[in-house]
Amino acid sequence: MPTLTPSSEDVRVYEVAIMYQSDLDQKAESDLLKETAALFDEAKGRILFQDPWSKRGLAYKIRGFTEAKFVISYLEVPPENIRELDRLLRLQKGILRHLIVIPPAGYEAVSFEDRYQTWLKTRETAAETQMHKKEERLRQTVAEHAKRTTKRMESKKQAPVEPLKAKELDEQIEKLISDADLKL
Amino acid sequence: MAATQQKSKPTKKSCPFDRTGVRYLDYKDFPTLKPYIDYFGNIRKRYYSGLCLKHQKLLKNAVERARFMGVLAYRK
Repeated sequence: MPTLTPSSEDVRVYEVAIMYQSDLDQKAESDLLKETAALFDEAKGRILFQDPWSKRGLAYKIRGFTEAKFVISYLEVPPENIRELDRLLRLQKGILRHLIVIPPAGYEAVSFEDRYQTWLKTRETAAETQMHKKEERLRQTVAEHAKRTTKRMESKKQAPVEPLKAKELDEQIEKLISDADLKL
Repeated sequence: MAATQQKSKPTKKSCPFDRTGVRYLDYKDFPTLKPYIDYFGNIRKRYYSGLCLKHQKLLKNAVERARFMGVLAYRK
């Protein structure tokens, strides 16, 4: 995947996401994409990487549409032209919404399909690792509980003092009574 | 009287993005954003998400962009 670095100091890398209707026929769709490409050219932009998404469901209705298509394009544009490009994209017919974002330095552009495939591979492992963590936590809690109970048991064993035997008590009392020095 | 339950000491949560060295959260990356959003579509508070302030701010930015582009809902 390409890492996005600007070719010169006069330009900056921008990520332009465009959302358009999913129910357009092929000709209208290609015309729209051509028009947006012309807008990019007008802003002296150079396309580094483009990632067209297939039809996607939206989280909420946008202009009455529940589904839309997206095109994510990474452009090199002189920063002074980006406002004009933003304005033109807003005026462009057929575009539902657009978003211009500055990706961080050294950003790796990954296509949606690739990202989805890697997610499919890592998803199961993530679930497994979570399960392992849960099991470990359970093991730790059980071990701690066992430690605590053994400690409590030990402390209970040590605590009770053996009662003096009855005979010894009697002997001691007799000694005290028989002691002549004590005037009871 | 029932024996009092012994509670474990509260431990400070460590930011999962700090551990992996994440520098940027992408608004298009739905699986990473999803766990930090509750049933109603709100962003989870830092107390619950366990993120550091830097990553919570990045998350807020990413979620707001995703909402604008219809990837996430504003309110369910």
